[in-house]
Amino acid sequence: MTDALSFLLDSQVNSQGWGYGVNHAPVVEATAVVALYLRRFSAADAALQRALQWLEAIQHEDGGWGLNALDAESGWHTAWALLALKRCAGASPAIAAGSRWLLQVEVMRFQDAELLADGRRVAGIDFALGGWSWLPGEASWVEPTAIAMLALQDSPLGEAAQPRLEEAVRYLVDRRCPGGGWNVGNPMMFDALLPARAAPTAWSLMALHALAPEVILAEDIQTLRGEMAQDGGLLALSWGLLALRLLGEDSPEAESQLLAAQSENGSWQDNPYLTAIAALALRGEF
Amino acid sequence: MPAPKLSRRAFIRLLSLIGIGSGLALLERITQPIGAAKFVQWQARSRYQQFLAPRAVVALIECPSYQAEIVQKLSDFWNAAGMPKVHGQKVLIKPNLVDTVAERPAITAPQATLAVVDLLKGMGASQVSVGDGPAFRREAQSVLSGSGLIEALKDRNVPFIDLNYDDPQPLPAQKDWFIGIKEIWLPRHVVEADLIISLPKMKMHHWAGASLSLKNLLGVLPGCRYGWPKNFIHFRGITASILGLYQMLPPVAAIVDGVVGMEGDGPVFGMPVAHGVLAMGADPLAVDITCARLMGFEPWEVEHLGMAAYSGLGQFSRIETIGASFDQLKRNYQRPPSI
Repeated sequence: MTDALSFLLDSQVNSQGWGYGVNHAPVVEATAVVALYLRRFSAADAALQRALQWLEAIQHEDGGWGLNALDAESGWHTAWALLALKRCAGASPAIAAGSRWLLQVEVMRFQDAELLADGRRVAGIDFALGGWSWLPGEASWVEPTAIAMLALQDSPLGEAAQPRLEEAVRYLVDRRCPGGGWNVGNPMMFDALLPARAAPTAWSLMALHALAPEVILAEDIQTLRGEMAQDGGLLALSWGLLALRLLGEDSPEAESQLLAAQSENGSWQDNPYLTAIAALALRGEF
Repeated sequence: MPAPKLSRRAFIRLLSLIGIGSGLALLERITQPIGAAKFVQWQARSRYQQFLAPRAVVALIECPSYQAEIVQKLSDFWNAAGMPKVHGQKVLIKPNLVDTVAERPAITAPQATLAVVDLLKGMGASQVSVGDGPAFRREAQSVLSGSGLIEALKDRNVPFIDLNYDDPQPLPAQKDWFIGIKEIWLPRHVVEADLIISLPKMKMHHWAGASLSLKNLLGVLPGCRYGWPKNFIHFRGITASILGLYQMLPPVAAIVDGVVGMEGDGPVFGMPVAHGVLAMGADPLAVDITCARLMGFEPWEVEHLGMAAYSGLGQFSRIETIGASFDQLKRNYQRPPSI
């Protein structure tokens, strides 16, 4: 993975963070993922420290983060910034403020009995349950819920985070697709059963593995393997392989496919974000 | 000192002022939430479209299959349909790549996209790119896997842009359409395009009624800012989001892939309709109204089309169709389920 490391070090933007492509403006999610990969390399320490300083510098007064330095609204990116800071830097006021924002951000919840019945009939889900949304006040979805769960695991807020994390576990269980696995968060719509997808299944498995491994079903893992094989995308392969390895499983096929997709310059598709995720998956550590 | 005497003329002026003021106050009140100024602007724009603006031309092109000579068919009608000049222009082709499910024709056919690419390159566009930001998948590659589109674009040296990650930048939100929102983030290739060709699948949509060239534009909103799905749209209202976004974009022209349409539970789980038509025009509203009628809708049944007409965002009353017979192409698509 030395080549991936060189590519990532060369593609840091303005000594700050990383974007979703070379020469793209740095964004929180890509920077966080790259930081998680770099933290095991002493040769990357200076680049990592600059990235962490950049993340802290663009934190909003409310404690959250947006897409990048220009984004004034805090949203789902907060969980990624927290993950990177917690795993790469240790306790800090920035982490405490970010954790508070994430714990307190509101999501849409239905309480009305008629609406709840409609939700159950049309989408097969319990709209009273809340996880995390992409942006404040919106509906909950699987991916931001799973990433927020990982970010709030071992939160400096301690017991205060427990009720919401427990509800998030119930939310993920409720959103599980028939047959196992997850998609964005709609297991059905009207009469159609919506298929599970690899990436949200991988995120859900990682979150549940950390917080409630007892609710993971064998069907979830089978579904993940099946979706990884047919998805065709690098993210599906990478997140899928990483989730499998964290669960103590493996997929030599996915590993071979990932290695075959690496470019000569060490990157995956000249994309720092994809490169860091693929490299993390191959390392088997998040 | 005697009290000043109000002359008859002054009294009438005063009455007139009171009348005008009361009228404006009443107008302001009954036109809420948009307000009198916006109402007057919309009405003026709408009446202009109805009585003064040039007719919109929509070409209806019979195309029984994707193996047909689509490039030639589109080329034959390009000028007559009033399509924009593309020579020397940077053009972004925006197909619908919402998601893919086996046996469901949810996305614009790759053959239709490639035909438009070849046509634009042949007409001398300085830069042609193809892009979309799928709503339910983190990677466009997941939607296109197995379609052959990305490989075929590489052969043509045409980039595919995953608009969910295209270095987005904030632009001032269209006033009065995104309530409480100061800025909307848009992908770099969208902002830098001289022209966008909206290239949707002709299909039903269980929230929006019909999904055509205007609705298709929502795919440009970057997931890396708004998430997957782009829930922001539903919270701001689908109609307001579609029409507000449309007004923020570079010029948009429309080509609708109705060779195989989708009826029933669109945008993803509907069933195929062998419709055999391509619709093309420079005015997306006129094209969408024509397509909605081809699908068996009255245009005002599709809220965003009715609202676009009401606010004068395109031609809605004087639409000339050329090419194939509208009556022969008219179908009655099965309606989508609703709550």
